[in-house]
Amino acid sequence: MENWESELEENTQGGQPPEQAPEQPAPPTGAQARRDASAGRELYLNVRVLVTMMGLFVLLFTFVARVIVVSGPSMQNTLFGGDLILVWSVGYAPKQGDVVVLTQESYQEDSIVKRVIATEGQRVDVDYAANTVSVDGMVLKEDYIKEQMFLPSWGEGVNHVVVPEGCIFVMGDNRNESADSRYPAIGIVDTRCVIGRGVAVLFPAHHWKGL
Amino acid sequence: MELMKKSVSGRVPWLVSAGAASLLAALLRRWQLASAFEPSGLATPGAQSSVILLCVLVMSGAWFILLAQYQPLSKRPWAAGQAHRWDLVFLDVGDPVYPILVVSASFLALACVPVLLPVGLEQWKLYQERVAAELQPPSNNGMLTIATGVGALLSALGLLQMGRDGLRPGKRGRGGFSAALPGVAGCVWMMESFRAHAANPVQWDYAPQLLAIVCGMMLYMDFAGMSAGASRPRRLLWLAGMTAVLSAVAMATTGSELAALAAAGGPVVSPQLGDLLLLLSQTLAAAAVLWRLPPNLENPPKLNSSPHPQPSGEASIQEETTDE
Repeated sequence: MENWESELEENTQGGQPPEQAPEQPAPPTGAQARRDASAGRELYLNVRVLVTMMGLFVLLFTFVARVIVVSGPSMQNTLFGGDLILVWSVGYAPKQGDVVVLTQESYQEDSIVKRVIATEGQRVDVDYAANTVSVDGMVLKEDYIKEQMFLPSWGEGVNHVVVPEGCIFVMGDNRNESADSRYPAIGIVDTRCVIGRGVAVLFPAHHWKGL
Repeated sequence: MELMKKSVSGRVPWLVSAGAASLLAALLRRWQLASAFEPSGLATPGAQSSVILLCVLVMSGAWFILLAQYQPLSKRPWAAGQAHRWDLVFLDVGDPVYPILVVSASFLALACVPVLLPVGLEQWKLYQERVAAELQPPSNNGMLTIATGVGALLSALGLLQMGRDGLRPGKRGRGGFSAALPGVAGCVWMMESFRAHAANPVQWDYAPQLLAIVCGMMLYMDFAGMSAGASRPRRLLWLAGMTAVLSAVAMATTGSELAALAAAGGPVVSPQLGDLLLLLSQTLAAAAVLWRLPPNLENPPKLNSSPHPQPSGEASIQEETTDE
């Protein structure tokens, strides 16, 4: 038992020649067996590569970056429904102006895409009459919004607030069709709810751009 | 007698380590669930239980690397161009534990089918109704759940064949391929698991399960590799250990989710139950590998010592295929 191979040689070569059962197919020759094994090995290796790649992709999407499909008009004209965007997760801390993907379970289980307007400690004032958003008293220059904003159907909502520690204030670029931090069911968002930052639009090709 | 002692000593470190690490990790996960999350479900940064659990998982991985490194192997067959002989490594040596574990794993995978298929079909029906009514459809159309159910059926068949091969090895290079079935089916399960948690910002809720599924997939693929001239016995042992530990953590999570669901009066026949059964199934398969592989790597089985009489034709095939 010291050497496995010699043990097998002994077992496979030194024993009595086996009797052929009449109904059993003839055993393959050595060359046939090698061909079978070679084809099987190739098949196995291909399948293993596929399985390994899938595992790596899912782990990459879980811990590093992921790809999501935008649904709805709330980020027009920056993002459109059906756009495929790359979201960077690892080591990300939200910053003002970033497009982020987040989940606010008090609103819905699916994730939403919004733009960070203010981070912790900053004061946000939304003025519908003047069509402006101010952060710490400074009116934001927002060339990304779709159109002039109007008072939402739910009323003023959260529009004069100091963002608490560890939270962000987010809004959609399409202010009139966006449920965002102004909407009481969403409100100020904990940064731990942020999945990552939108980095680029990957698809369709004519929408491709960095965010 | 000497051989028996060696065999026992070969598997004990693996089984004890994997069992202890799995138990500890599951208990820590329970503690983490009780202490490291706010009522909103968000994780408390730097919670003691989270840090300790992470350390235990990392240390388990390191310990299994050490065990695998020091695992005694007989002469490496691939060095002499005889890699196919590794398919004998799961040959029965007279104990019923391996086939019992693998067949139990097979039945657990089979039990997923009546759980996942109705759930998936229901989701599919709901999705179609919403689309027909021109309403916003749910994000899940149920297809991946159905595919996971079908994959569980394939896993059950593959595992059943693995149990059979452990008793009576088939033609070289084919018997072990059945292990690739649960490996491939694991891909679908992994995608469904990722989809179900894609919007969850709390990684602790799903990362252990995804890692457990990936380890399980690779375990099965390496198992199949033993019969395909691509054997990696040390990595197979490591994967078996990590599959057991990570599955234990994931089972603690799904178990508590199921308990919460039952307490809220929700249906117990749910995707969480499917996950629990599949995790348990791959844990048993990992335990079977840890039971059979270490002693057989150290003391390879004798073909002639198999207590199960083999048909003469099959024996001659084995001779042909191992004599290169």
